[in-house]
Amino acid sequence: MLSIDDLSVNYGPVKALSHVSLDVPRGEVTAVIGANGAGKSTLMRTLAGLVKPASGSAQLDGNLLTGHKAEDIARMGVALVPEGRSTIPELTVDENLRLGGMWRGRTERAASHAEVFDLFPVLAQRRTMRADTLSGGERQQLAIGRALMCAPECLLLDEPSLGLAPLIVTQILDLVKRLATEVNLAVLLVEQNAVTALREASQGVVLNLGQVVMAGPAAEIASHEELRHAYLGY
Amino acid sequence: MAELMRKPGARLLLHLAIVVAVFVLMMVVNDHVDPLMNYYIALAAMYATAMFGMVILVGLSGQVSLGNGALMAIGGYIFALTSMNWQTVPILGLPWNGWWSMVFAGIGGIVFGLLIGGLGARLTGPYLAGLTLGIAVGIPAIANRFPALFGGENGLTLTVPYPEGGYAAVDAGTDYVDPSLAASSAPVASAFPSQAASVAPGDLLTASNFPSAGPSVAPSVAPGDLLTASNFPSPGASSGAGDLLTASNFPSAGASSGDLLTASNFPSPGVSASAVPDLGGTDVSGGTGDNGFVIEHWQASLAVLVACIVAFMALNLVRGRQGNVWRAVRDDPVAAAVSGISPSTAKVTAFVISSLFAALAGGVFAQILAYVGPGAFGLGLSLSLLVGVVLGGRSSLFGAVIGAVLLVWLPEFVLNLSNDRGWSEQITNNAPNLIYGLLVVLVVLVAPGGIVGSVQSLIAKVTKR
Amino acid sequence: MIDFINYLLGGVGSGAIIALMALALVLTWRATRVVNFAQVGQAMFTTFIALSIQTATGNWFVALVGAMVAGAVLGVFVQYLVLRPVSRMDTSGAIIATFGVLIALQAAAGMIWGGDSQAFPQPFNNSAITLFGQEWPLSIYDLVVISLAALMVVGLTLLFTRTSLGLAMRATAFNPEVARLSGIRVSRTLTVGWALAGVVGGVAGVLVAPTSTISPNSFDILLVFAFTAAVIGGLDSLVGAVAMGVGTGLIISLVSGYSDSSNAPVVALVLLAVTLLLKPEGMFGHTKARSV
Repeated sequence: MLSIDDLSVNYGPVKALSHVSLDVPRGEVTAVIGANGAGKSTLMRTLAGLVKPASGSAQLDGNLLTGHKAEDIARMGVALVPEGRSTIPELTVDENLRLGGMWRGRTERAASHAEVFDLFPVLAQRRTMRADTLSGGERQQLAIGRALMCAPECLLLDEPSLGLAPLIVTQILDLVKRLATEVNLAVLLVEQNAVTALREASQGVVLNLGQVVMAGPAAEIASHEELRHAYLGY
Repeated sequence: MAELMRKPGARLLLHLAIVVAVFVLMMVVNDHVDPLMNYYIALAAMYATAMFGMVILVGLSGQVSLGNGALMAIGGYIFALTSMNWQTVPILGLPWNGWWSMVFAGIGGIVFGLLIGGLGARLTGPYLAGLTLGIAVGIPAIANRFPALFGGENGLTLTVPYPEGGYAAVDAGTDYVDPSLAASSAPVASAFPSQAASVAPGDLLTASNFPSAGPSVAPSVAPGDLLTASNFPSPGASSGAGDLLTASNFPSAGASSGDLLTASNFPSPGVSASAVPDLGGTDVSGGTGDNGFVIEHWQASLAVLVACIVAFMALNLVRGRQGNVWRAVRDDPVAAAVSGISPSTAKVTAFVISSLFAALAGGVFAQILAYVGPGAFGLGLSLSLLVGVVLGGRSSLFGAVIGAVLLVWLPEFVLNLSNDRGWSEQITNNAPNLIYGLLVVLVVLVAPGGIVGSVQSLIAKVTKR
Repeated sequence: MIDFINYLLGGVGSGAIIALMALALVLTWRATRVVNFAQVGQAMFTTFIALSIQTATGNWFVALVGAMVAGAVLGVFVQYLVLRPVSRMDTSGAIIATFGVLIALQAAAGMIWGGDSQAFPQPFNNSAITLFGQEWPLSIYDLVVISLAALMVVGLTLLFTRTSLGLAMRATAFNPEVARLSGIRVSRTLTVGWALAGVVGGVAGVLVAPTSTISPNSFDILLVFAFTAAVIGGLDSLVGAVAMGVGTGLIISLVSGYSDSSNAPVVALVLLAVTLLLKPEGMFGHTKARSV
């Protein structure tokens, strides 16, 4: 389980995150929603080690994450799929995948490689092609595939639906949910599109101005009247 | 005070006041130090002139360029060639004097600044640095290419067109006549006891003090006339009495023995190559002229004068609207463009201005060393200029002055140390550069604002409490 | 025509050396987005070290290996002490710092070995080879130079395309954040890149040394040629660096042959200026050299 305890992050005088605490259990998808600038991406980047928190901590199964470098956190089992197209266009699909999990043994890596191709057949088809020849949805699959190559215990997805057609988004999120249950991953999903996120997730957390304003089962949050008006737009 | 400063022209006057004050101060200092110190002052002022341009180019405009050494070369060569070959100013037909050479050197600087800036302003970081690196190495190489014109590897030795008392015509009522030369001869003459015998007190600058190399001019010139044509041996040109600064006053390079103003008249500063980084074989040996006229004093006066003029221009630019434009473009070109500022225009302007300053510095160089050559203006010079501004404070004109002083002082300091401790020549010659290199790295790492920046933040920290 | 071919062949050797130097520049550029202007100072320093080794042992290969090791160490040293602390955003600072290192290295070399030009012993026969009764403008030494250079290029290419380390280096160069998120130890990778560049530069320095004399400042012109070649090839392109390096060598040889060798720096400058004016990303490259 990923435990976040009283995490605070400052960008200079701006309090991006204030005393955020939450638990991300394995085997299910936890959605983090909120308006723009609520601190969702900051949360993800801090967990991944790209941003240093001012105070507080995060732990994975009891192992302290905060304070370590991003590359070490990745090796400890937390894989972030960042916002935007996080593939390297100049490298091939294969090479992009091979970036993940370089520290692992050869057989394990080969096994993961095969698994990723099973999950995302289109990647197998285009394995020797440069990543910039892929469509948006394919590239998102590639990014997730690379994260999976790291054999993560916890998967962080930062706005995977950005710029993608709704059908593709559903496909990807369904797949992620499957992964969570089958591989017993802890999945933290950040989304602007609250409806989609809450539909796929079992737990939900609402962030506003860096603070947690509500946490609980996703269905409850989705049906909460006030919240819906304030944050979900309907 | 703040109210007053907002009045149009107030800032201009303030800057003028600062510059004039500094100038007067330096002149007083000049009068009271020995010629070796004069020489150092001259060097430092020359460096400062070029470095004011670097502050604008590298500091304010954020364009790291190694081209200013080459631009000094251009200014220096233009000065040398024009002063050696021109009797009258072309097109205008006016009689020649050293200032015209400076003007043309400046024009050359502007032209090349436009050329280089036109290309360079569009380039980012390392591309610009690399291009200017190529310029720093390539332009002096051109001098080698046309040995007949440029003197090739050995360069050109020119006779410096200095009159006593400064450039300006006395009767034209211009702004500068060196009072110490015109008035008492004692302090000057006493500096050169060996000359004292041949100089009668008060007889500083009379015809008899100058061996004439050619037919003497109109006998209507009275002895004791300070600055008349007859004081300058001229190879055959005739000029009216009172003609101060005509070409005939300047013996051309082809003048024969007895020539007053040749390289041999420069007393050796005693530090040779290490005082002026990478000069490559300039021989400045010999005594001072036979007249009690202290050449170094004049050099220092000239250099300081040019530096002050350039400083005035720089102050107005840096502390005015243009300075803000440059900083804006450096920090956020997109924002600047959106605000209606053209980044490329600003960058090219920075290039042109810094090239102008560098070319003028080159003109001063030619007059201090009476020599221009490819070795003197090579990569080492450009690197020295960069070192100076970085150590002094990249964006500060005062920092440039500090850097210039540092460039002149450190080798001397090291030399003294080495004399005390018996270091080998290898170590002594290279120690300053090693120190410069290490300091530059240190400054970039921990104190990007250089000496000036560090002092400023120190003051800020102290006053905050 | 014969002259032309002669000059061309004669330029291949120096072209190979320029290519190696350009390669070193491209390596550090791709790794850290910094053009290491001190590279040539590092090469000069390691060449002097090689000279000392050569003088002490009389063995050229030992000296060459020594230069390669020293090159790696010096490269790591410079990167660790100077470039790493300087933030990526401060490009001006990084450029200035590399020049500071260059100045310091030249001064240090002058202190240790003196400022005079010194001769580096020629390890192979440097006279023209006679083959088929015709004298060719290549010597055995030239062939050694070309072979060594080719060997290094092939080795590096294999490293980059076939190994995980090479992949990590390429990824780090393109997108360090994604590399980090994938668990790649970015700082170590950068350091390896700089060490490699140092090795390549070291080899280039040792190869060029016997062809003339060496002194702390004698490598400056090589910097201009190498940079020109790297830019024309495209700073991002290893292939470009090699190709244009050789090309530059050929052009210099032609220029020197047909006119005067002192024209070479000017020609290089003109080539550089024209390239930056017309095709700043180089023949094989794809980054922007221009800002506005």
